[in-house]
Amino acid sequence: MIDTIEKEDNIISEEEAAQYDRQIRLWGLDAQKRLRGSRVLLVGLRGLGAEVAKNLILAGVKGLTLLDHEQVTEESRRAQFLIPVDADGQNQAQASLERAQLLNPMVEVKVDTDAVESKPDDFFFQFDAVCLTRCSKDLMVRVDQLCASRNIKVFCGDVYGYHGYMFSDLGQEHHYVEEKPKVVKGSNEANDGPEAKKGKVDPNETTMVKKTISFCSLKEALEVDWTNEKAKSSLKRTPADYFLLQVLLKFRTDKGRDPQPDSFAEDSQLFLQIRDDVLETMGLSSELLPNTFVSYCFSEMAPVCAVVGGVLGQELVKALSQRDAPHRNFFFFDGLKGSGVVDYFGSK
Amino acid sequence: MAQLVGPLRKELADSLSSCRVLVVGAGGIGCELLKNLVLTGFKNIEVIDLDTIDVSNLNRQFLFQKKHVGKSKAQVAKESVLRFCPSANITAYHDSIMNPDYNVEFFRNFQLVMNALDNRAARNHVNRMCLAADIPLIESGTAGYLGQVTVIKKGQTECYECQPKPTQKTFPGCTIRNTPSEPIHCIVWAKYLFNQLFGEEDADQEVSPDTADPEVAWNPADAAARATASNKDGDIKRVSTKEWARSTGYDPVKLFNKVQLFKDDIMYLLTMDKLWKKRKAPLPLDWTEIHQLESSQEEAFGTGLKDQQVLGVQGYAQLFHRSVETLRSQLIEKGEGAELVWDKDDPPAMDFVTAAANLRMNVFSMNMKSRFDVKSMAGNIIPAIATTNAVIAGLIVLEALKTLNSDFDQCRTVNLQCCSFHVGVIGLVQILTLAVFAFDCLRNVFPVIGPSVQVSMKTTSVSNNNKFLSDFGIRNGSRLQADDFLQDYTLLVNLIHSEELEKDVEFEVVGDAPDKAPVSSVPEEGKNIANGNKDSAQPSTSSKAAAEDDDVLIVDSDEEPSSSTMETSLESSNRKRKHHDADTDDAASKRKRLDQQPADDDEDIIALD
Repeated sequence: MIDTIEKEDNIISEEEAAQYDRQIRLWGLDAQKRLRGSRVLLVGLRGLGAEVAKNLILAGVKGLTLLDHEQVTEESRRAQFLIPVDADGQNQAQASLERAQLLNPMVEVKVDTDAVESKPDDFFFQFDAVCLTRCSKDLMVRVDQLCASRNIKVFCGDVYGYHGYMFSDLGQEHHYVEEKPKVVKGSNEANDGPEAKKGKVDPNETTMVKKTISFCSLKEALEVDWTNEKAKSSLKRTPADYFLLQVLLKFRTDKGRDPQPDSFAEDSQLFLQIRDDVLETMGLSSELLPNTFVSYCFSEMAPVCAVVGGVLGQELVKALSQRDAPHRNFFFFDGLKGSGVVDYFGSK
Repeated sequence: MAQLVGPLRKELADSLSSCRVLVVGAGGIGCELLKNLVLTGFKNIEVIDLDTIDVSNLNRQFLFQKKHVGKSKAQVAKESVLRFCPSANITAYHDSIMNPDYNVEFFRNFQLVMNALDNRAARNHVNRMCLAADIPLIESGTAGYLGQVTVIKKGQTECYECQPKPTQKTFPGCTIRNTPSEPIHCIVWAKYLFNQLFGEEDADQEVSPDTADPEVAWNPADAAARATASNKDGDIKRVSTKEWARSTGYDPVKLFNKVQLFKDDIMYLLTMDKLWKKRKAPLPLDWTEIHQLESSQEEAFGTGLKDQQVLGVQGYAQLFHRSVETLRSQLIEKGEGAELVWDKDDPPAMDFVTAAANLRMNVFSMNMKSRFDVKSMAGNIIPAIATTNAVIAGLIVLEALKTLNSDFDQCRTVNLQCCSFHVGVIGLVQILTLAVFAFDCLRNVFPVIGPSVQVSMKTTSVSNNNKFLSDFGIRNGSRLQADDFLQDYTLLVNLIHSEELEKDVEFEVVGDAPDKAPVSSVPEEGKNIANGNKDSAQPSTSSKAAAEDDDVLIVDSDEEPSSSTMETSLESSNRKRKHHDADTDDAASKRKRLDQQPADDDEDIIALD
């Protein structure tokens, strides 16, 4: 993680100042410098991945590695805006590279066409943050475990039809600052009338407050025990999307892919079956996820990718710049209802 | 079982590909919105934007690259979208949506209109056109980390103008001219000074000390003394600032020392001693004295942006000198009778305001501000990032899908009866007289009983009845309020100019005239909506007359959009916004809370219901 800013990165060029002006005015120069010193790994370049890539590149990170071993298909081309129309058959990350780089020439955009499962542990250590999309549960748990110990920020996210989620593990001790308005002290002189103005206090002054927050691992977050009384009583307040995620992750593990429109009938059946299995194993009723969910979990809805990708992108910016309170630790979005929820799962 | 096309059910996918939609604005929200629309399956899209691309847009308007700077946003957006979706049918207009060419018939071509705007005037206009054409409108806005989306459908929901919107913050003249206490007062003063010296002189933008300030409260005994004092300066005051400046050849030192500025006028202010009984008095600056000071307190370059340096008094005095000289040459180049228009992106203009404002801040013992900060305040800059726009544009498309299905009760809107009824397509405003409007139209078409007409504080006499509506400044898009106190009934009437009425038809009413209209809403502390107002600080143009009987008041006239870049502004400068966690309730929404300055109400801005 960037604790100190590398010397040569200390000066922002005129070009950067002009291009990043509107965001520097929002999150400040320090935050922008930290972003500028950060390297991020992004796995999976479908609809959600393309949105996250765009958001990070526009934000001005130092480097972004696009990793994907899959090939462009008609469906993947329809789902995202970085891949050219004649790229069928090419590697998805490779096909996205040119347009991604053009979004901001000041970012080093790289491509890696290997399967993420094949990467050794130390591959991940060169990054300040990793963002995993379209990955299996086992892979995500493994990467999360080895990154957390090295203070590398871990993010996971996916979009399934109208539904999407984001998870973050920023480690045991994530330090950040928040900007708060400065408390204006009352005047010292008792005789001041209402019009007394010292003329020196700037009402717009703010102060930076330091904070620390801790996160649990993905493994803990996904392996909540629902059989104890406390968990059961909190069920009513638990978003159904959490269980939907468990079902879809199992589908992905079992089938090696996500539900596909081409095999709608077959996949719908399988989905319902897996739902029954997963919920039963957790000691919960199938009613938590009504059958109606099925037909809205296929492929990726572009606007849902935009929303989840926007939130995920901003969480990455917050974590890398160490500024502003991060979401902790899940964000679920339901595109049918248009509702987004932040919730915490795992040990407190 | 249902058939899917990608993530969508087939019927939905089919209806999207035949649908025609209009996107108003191709900036922050517009770029994201266009991308989402084509990826979702919309095929027929028209997009309109009057602006060109600026380098500061590139951090979020991702359809544009550096090489496109200066080109039309709508045009380049279209080209970029076609690159990843060549089958989309996109029409781009480099034009203002307020151009009368885009009449009700134009709007009727679309099944849906989506705003991606940054100013209130255009939003009001599109709102009225969509109501007149009876087309659903999706309204949205973003600022920093905040954003919102609303669906507007005539007959089902409130319209954009049902809730009064907060107006641009203005400051009293005496604060600007006599007793500034905050940097923003000095900045506004500096902008006024720019106009008085180099631009269009405006009686509302006086910079000299205000002797009419009620606080000054001179008693008669002093009056004589004042008279003498003002004779000395009297000459200067009788001559306009610009004439005087011209007479000295815009000599920066003379400007500095003499009029309006940092020495003589301050000395004059000091004579108004009542002002300074409880305030710290201003300290005049003298050009020569400043330059004798130790070459100063200039901060080391440090790790900040160059613009974020705060200079010392000497530095700003020099900046003042340089910028006056540059602006002077600009004026000369433009020729006889030329005027400059202030633009935050014009370096000497921005330098001038930075310097003048800071010198004044120094005079009034305020901490000085960097050019970076002054630019934010003077230029009404709203910070903006890609992710907020991405989220909002995603939500817009999701609302669009519900709208097309006519699922209005699923949409996130407030269902109230709307504020306005539309007398649309009124004939040429140059021909329609007040008499015809009041008597024939209002009385016969609407159940307004005995209208007498009042325009801007004055009840009109009979002789005015034959005046044309346009004589009162009423034009295309104007909105009038008709109160019938006999019936306790208020009608808001939107006027739309048209040249296409049939022969002998003087006006046409669009929309159902109700038996009873809603009573006009009392301006309340309405929900503060981050719509982003581009309008710069100007006096409000609405005139509210004391009402008698039935009155027709001009409620507002659309302001001309200002020429320079589309930067938005909220009420006051430099608000920082936080992105907070949402609740975890069932129908929960992602809420973003506005951190207000202490004086304001604390209100939630709800992005989703």
